[in-house]
Amino acid sequence: MAGPGWSGSRMDRQQERDVCELVRRLTGLQDQADPNFHLALNFAWSNFRFHRFLDVNSHKIEKTIDGIYEKFTIHSDLSKAASWKRLTQEFLNASLPSTEGKKTDAHYSILSLLLCLSDSPSNSNYVETPRDKEVEKKDDFDWGKYLMEGEEIDLGPNVDTPNWSEDSDDEDAQQPLSREDSGIQVDRTPLEEQDHNRRGPQVDWKVDEPGSRSWLEQHVVRQYWTTRRSRVLHSLHLHSNLAAVWDQHLYSSDPLYIPDDKVVVTETQVIRETLWLLSGVKKLFIFQLIDGKVTVRNNIVVTHLTHNCLRSVLEQIAVYGQVVFRLQEFIDEVMGHNSESLSPGNSSRKSPEAPFRTYQAFMWALYKYFISFKEELTEIEKCIINNDSTITLAIVVDKLAPRLAQLKVLHKVFSTGVAEVPPDTRNVVRASHLLNTLYKAILEYDNVGEASEQTVSLLFSLWVETVRPYLQTVDEWIVHGHLWDGAREFIIQRNKNVPVNHRDFWYATYTLYSVSEKTENEEKMSDNASASSGSDQGPSSRQHTMVSFLKPVLKQIIMAGKSMQLLKNLRCAESSACQAAARDAERKSLYTLFLESIQLRLQHGEDSTPQVLTEQQATKENLIKMQSIAERHLELDDIHDPLLAINFARLYLEQSDFHEKFAGGDVCVDRSSESVTCQTFELTLRSCLYPHIDKQYLHCCGNLMQTLKKDYRLVEYLQAMRNFFLMEGGDTMYDFYTSIFDKIREKETWQNVSFLNVQLQEAVGQRYPEDSSRLSISFENVDTTKKKLPVHTLDGLTLSYKVPWPVDIVISLECQKIYNQVFLLLLQIKWAKYSLDVLLFGELANAAERPQLKEQNTLAQFGPPQESIRQQIHRMFLLRVKLMHFVNSLHNYIMTRILHSTGLEFQHQVEEAKDLDQLIKIHYRYLSTIHDRCLLREKVSFVKEAIMKVLNLALMFAEGWQAGLGAWQMESIEKMESDFKNCHMFLVTILNKAVCRGSFPHLESLALSLMAGMEQS
Amino acid sequence: MASGSSSGAMSSANLNAVRETMDVLLEISRILNTGLDMETLSICVRLCEQGINPEALSSVIKELRKATEALKAAENTTS
Repeated sequence: MAGPGWSGSRMDRQQERDVCELVRRLTGLQDQADPNFHLALNFAWSNFRFHRFLDVNSHKIEKTIDGIYEKFTIHSDLSKAASWKRLTQEFLNASLPSTEGKKTDAHYSILSLLLCLSDSPSNSNYVETPRDKEVEKKDDFDWGKYLMEGEEIDLGPNVDTPNWSEDSDDEDAQQPLSREDSGIQVDRTPLEEQDHNRRGPQVDWKVDEPGSRSWLEQHVVRQYWTTRRSRVLHSLHLHSNLAAVWDQHLYSSDPLYIPDDKVVVTETQVIRETLWLLSGVKKLFIFQLIDGKVTVRNNIVVTHLTHNCLRSVLEQIAVYGQVVFRLQEFIDEVMGHNSESLSPGNSSRKSPEAPFRTYQAFMWALYKYFISFKEELTEIEKCIINNDSTITLAIVVDKLAPRLAQLKVLHKVFSTGVAEVPPDTRNVVRASHLLNTLYKAILEYDNVGEASEQTVSLLFSLWVETVRPYLQTVDEWIVHGHLWDGAREFIIQRNKNVPVNHRDFWYATYTLYSVSEKTENEEKMSDNASASSGSDQGPSSRQHTMVSFLKPVLKQIIMAGKSMQLLKNLRCAESSACQAAARDAERKSLYTLFLESIQLRLQHGEDSTPQVLTEQQATKENLIKMQSIAERHLELDDIHDPLLAINFARLYLEQSDFHEKFAGGDVCVDRSSESVTCQTFELTLRSCLYPHIDKQYLHCCGNLMQTLKKDYRLVEYLQAMRNFFLMEGGDTMYDFYTSIFDKIREKETWQNVSFLNVQLQEAVGQRYPEDSSRLSISFENVDTTKKKLPVHTLDGLTLSYKVPWPVDIVISLECQKIYNQVFLLLLQIKWAKYSLDVLLFGELANAAERPQLKEQNTLAQFGPPQESIRQQIHRMFLLRVKLMHFVNSLHNYIMTRILHSTGLEFQHQVEEAKDLDQLIKIHYRYLSTIHDRCLLREKVSFVKEAIMKVLNLALMFAEGWQAGLGAWQMESIEKMESDFKNCHMFLVTILNKAVCRGSFPHLESLALSLMAGMEQS
Repeated sequence: MASGSSSGAMSSANLNAVRETMDVLLEISRILNTGLDMETLSICVRLCEQGINPEALSSVIKELRKATEALKAAENTTS
């Protein structure tokens, strides 16, 4: 907003500028966009335009001036009064910048303004500043101070505040007097009211002998930081006086130009301060650190540049200084944590726990980077000190340009990876966020290709360092079975409350934190899902969750870790941990292996310099040798990957010139067709990191499998399950179930648990004595409505087998439930089969004879039923055989076709299972297969019902058979026949359809055999 | 009437005269204890010469000073 009504002319614009400047000076608000600034500006303008003050009245002003004069005399402030009188008269008779004439309205107007602003003039003490030059020369010099030289001199900030017009050339004459002869400054009139706020470092110092100080100044360095004015001797050539010339121009072109108080420094000083700033020094003169922000001191000039020019250059540097400062702060924070945590002041900002290892590693990588950076800076500074080559600020900035670019990248990574993380985030999230940021940054810059080679290599080295704790954690876990993660930074964490030797160990022990980048929310997921099926179902939304680089091998890591822990526990349980002590002596850690692989990938194996990569110990000679090897390889081998070469060089050589050779293009490696793309980095990982993890995974999972199979007889237990539940141990189970069936047949009570168990023990104990103690059977009454059908009499029989600890991970209670379902089905079939089998033809024939004899006597008059009875018997024989055919086909189908062949497949798969998870999966798959094929699934329940109906029919038939012919009527036989026929028909149709569709190939044999039964009937 | 920007043509005698005047004015300002520094004073002089009412100007200056102090005090208490 600026005078919209009458803008246009230049004068008005000047006025607007002036008002803006005035507001700025009065309020101290620098930012024009600040709402407060706008308010103030509006306020000023409205006051200027719409006021109710009268125009200036010269008489009134004169009167007031006289009044003040009188007031001063009354207060007996005669000198003040005299000054006042003289000055006002002088002013009224002087000419104004843009107003001609004397005693104009403008004069009075200005005086009026001052009078309005005056604030009890009589109370303030005032000493007129001598303005007359001739007088000044004599009076100005403080002889007292001069003669007291050698005393303690306090050079406070306001002591030597120069007058505003000091820069003018005609005053220069007095200057040399102060410096050259004594070494101390002239203490000029103390102008206490003129002390502008000057915040520079106040250097108080004592010098015993002024001569020594001047000696120091002459031979070491001038104390430019004390902000004293001095003339530095330099060439009078125009070029080296640009600042002065420009000042002069401003001064002569603008009467109201007020030269600032400037501190002249030399370019060398600027360069050195720049170097110091970049190496992390905080207390500097040219660059100031205010509230964590690096700014450039305002009044610095060099003689050969204008103020603005120098300032803009320095401001660019200050930005990098800021970066260095921020990173340095992080390093200090992580490094000096222990000492800091003792002071209570810091505790509010950060949680008291120590920074976790990923941050420490990252800090260490940064630290190493800074060391090399500082070395470079020191080189430059040495050059300056030696004075053997020309060094200008521009040369330095140019020389440091690659470093500065790297600093920028570092800062970007740092701020996204570390600084922007909200303070109360958990360590897991912080660590994986940092790693992900680095990883993504590498991929991102890698995509750019050639342009960012150095950046990629820098980031890669950072990443390799930072990833170290993670890899160590992984290593510790998959090799020793301890998930040691004190700061809880790893993405997988041990749940405390599950002991190893618990059934749920395999599922509930670890929690995988998958960190979502977008929401910064972490979601917990039980690794039950992730470990067994997480890898193949992973949807795209989880793209950036968890630590991306571990994602391809996460499953292996989890498996290996869990297996290892289990294995350790098994071993501990049975044998002493003898080898634990020397466990790490001969083994190379995963991290070392990883580094070695990277090296090998570079060298292509041919020139295998056996360097164990504990790079700290590597000597200089080694490094140089390696460097030359690397270069030779690069030159020899066209296929070779320059990115890796650089990475390698950075990692192990850490010599800055190595880079320059690459960048300089001496080694021209063809990178035309995306030879280095983002895949490269992933390929590197794939070939250098993943195989080691995979190897360890195979090793320990194989070990676990071996142990489980050998020492814990996993296979035997699986066999036992099949023996008893699936009745593969035919004779044993036969002994068991026939005794029950007999009881049922005799209509005795058989549901007694002790009876059942005794039968079971007797049957099992003969052949499998070691299993007899583990097996038990129970019976529970299920709902009675179903019980009416004889086939459901057996419902409620439950076999249970106590599986010892490590094996029960595989054979869980859930599995036993499925086994039991199959067991019951088998029992029912066996029962039907048994019932039909034990029927004797003779029985029926005898039964037919006896009533016939009776009937001959009593019922002869009704006609001989002889034929009908024969026919009845014959039909019963036929029905029996049909039923037997049906039950036997079913029995055969299930026992051989399904249980046996599926069992064989299962045994093969168990042999080949690589890890426990796979084994568990195989076992489940096996169970669900037999469950399906035994038609126990909900979906095919109608088939099962039909079969049950037939079985029921068979049982009822057998019952009737035993009861003798008397219980039979022709109708009931016919009904049974038709029922059976219907069921049979139905089953055959259904099964044929299914077989024709090809959806159940295993049903084919059953369908065929049933069909055969049909055709015959 | 030459404004600040066109004053490059001024004779050096004139420049010195103006500078003298400003010195005098600064002294007067100091006697009166107005609290204006040289630069603010020169802005004020320019404004007065352009016809801004001095009393209005002085009231603006006073008000803005007051407001700034209040703002600073508020900031200090909050921080």
